[in-house]
Amino acid sequence: MKFTRHISTQLAARLDGQLTAAELRKAEEHLRTCVRCREESEQVRSGMAIIKSLESVAAPDEIWSSIEAGFQPAPKRPPWQRQWLLAPAVVLILAGIVWWRSASSWIETSSTSRTTISIGNIGTVEVEPNTRVRVVKDQPDEHRLTLARGEIRATISAPPKLFFVDTPSGTAVDLGCAYLLTAEEDGSDLLRVTRGWVSFQWKGLESLVPAGASCRTRPKAGPGIPYFDDASDALKRALETNGNLTIILSESRKRDTLTLWHLLSRVEVGDRARVFDRITALTPLPAGVTREKALQLDHQTLDHWREELAWTW
Amino acid sequence: MVRSAVIGFFIAALALADGFTFNIGNPVASGDYRSKTALFVFRTEGCADPAKAQISGTAEGLIKGMRRSVPLNLAKLSQPGVYGVNKSWTADGAWVVSLSGTCDHASAGAIIPIGPGGFIRDSSKLLPHSPTNAEIEASLKALAHTQGEKQ
Repeated sequence: MKFTRHISTQLAARLDGQLTAAELRKAEEHLRTCVRCREESEQVRSGMAIIKSLESVAAPDEIWSSIEAGFQPAPKRPPWQRQWLLAPAVVLILAGIVWWRSASSWIETSSTSRTTISIGNIGTVEVEPNTRVRVVKDQPDEHRLTLARGEIRATISAPPKLFFVDTPSGTAVDLGCAYLLTAEEDGSDLLRVTRGWVSFQWKGLESLVPAGASCRTRPKAGPGIPYFDDASDALKRALETNGNLTIILSESRKRDTLTLWHLLSRVEVGDRARVFDRITALTPLPAGVTREKALQLDHQTLDHWREELAWTW
Repeated sequence: MVRSAVIGFFIAALALADGFTFNIGNPVASGDYRSKTALFVFRTEGCADPAKAQISGTAEGLIKGMRRSVPLNLAKLSQPGVYGVNKSWTADGAWVVSLSGTCDHASAGAIIPIGPGGFIRDSSKLLPHSPTNAEIEASLKALAHTQGEKQ
C-alpha cells in the first residue's frame, strides 16, 4: 500500500491493529514527522475512548433508517475491507450518541463507503466516499458543518439561513435548496445547485447560485463567478482559466446574465461598461436601473437589477 | 371633464389588461424560500391588481401514446401575482405545464415544457389566450420527439 502525503484514512485501522507489518512501519515513520496526522490520530483515539466509555442506549429509529439508506451494495472484498465498510456506519451510530455530548466529532468515509447525516429535523446530508466532515453546531436556530475535503449532497427543508457549511474557501449559506458541494484537494470548492438557490460567502464577497448553476470557489479568493451548467464550454473555460472577458461576453446568452451580473462588480473599472452593454443587449434595462448607477455599483440598483434579471435565468 | 376622465380611466385599464401576460422564471426569481422545490415560478404582468387575477394550471402528459391531464395546485408566493409550480405528476413520459389566466377582460396563457433539468425556457410559449388542445398537443409531440418518447 502506498501512502499519500497524509494518512488520515489509515489512522483508525492503525489503532485497531488492522494494518500489515509493512503498512504499520510506514505509518509510524510518517507520524514521527507529521504533526497534522499525529493530532488526527489523537482525535481518533479520543473518540474511540469516549465511545467505549458510553453506556449502551437504543439508537432512535431515524438513525437506523438513515444508515440503511446510506448502504450501497459492495463487491466481494477481503475480510479487513468488509469490516471497515461497516465502520463509517458504526461510527455514525456511535457518533450519534457522541453528538449528544459533543457536536464536534469528525465523520470520515473511506473510498468505498458513504453515509447520511440527519440535520435536526430540517434535512439530510449525504456524505460521499473519501469525505471528511464535522458537525460544528446542531441547534434549532443554526445547523453548521465543516467540510474539510470530499463531497456532500445537502437536501434541506427549512426557512433560509438555518443551515451552513464552512469550507476552506468560504461558507455555503442555505437559502432553501438541494446542492452538491465538493471540497477539492487544492482547497477549492465546487458548488452545484439542483434545487432552490445557495449563497456562497467569504469576507464580504457573495455569489448567488440558483438551481441549474455552479460556482467554483478558491482559497484566499472566495466565491467565483457562478454560471449555468448549460452555458457554452468556451464561456465556462474562460471563467475557469484565463478570465478572457471578450470570450465570456461573446458566448453569453440571455440566461448567462447570471454570470454577467456577478462579473459587473468583479471586473476592472474600465471593463464595467462592456459588461453592462452586453447585459442590456441581451435583455432590456428594467425601470429604476440607470447606466450611471449600475456602473457606480450602487447597491440598491444592482439588487433591483438582479431581481429583474432573475426572471430571465 | 369628469366624463373624459372616466373614459380615460377605462381606456387605460383596458390597455393595461390587454398587456396581460405571464413571465416564467427560475425559482430564485421569486426570492421566496417556499419556492425552493418548485420546477419554476411565474408571475402575472400587465394586470392592474395581480392578486385578483384568476389563474389555473394543469400538467399535460403523453405517456406511451396515452394523454393525461393533472390539475395543479399553484403555490401563491409572498409577492402578489407570483406563483410556484411543483411537480405533482409521474416521472414517465413527456410533460408540459399549461397555464391560463384572466385579468379583467384580458386573457393569457402559457405552455411550459418540462425536461430532466427543470423547465425548458427556449420551448416555452406565451399566449394571449388559454392554451388550446391543439397547441398543447403540438408542444407535447415536439417534446416527446426530443425525448425519443413513442407516441
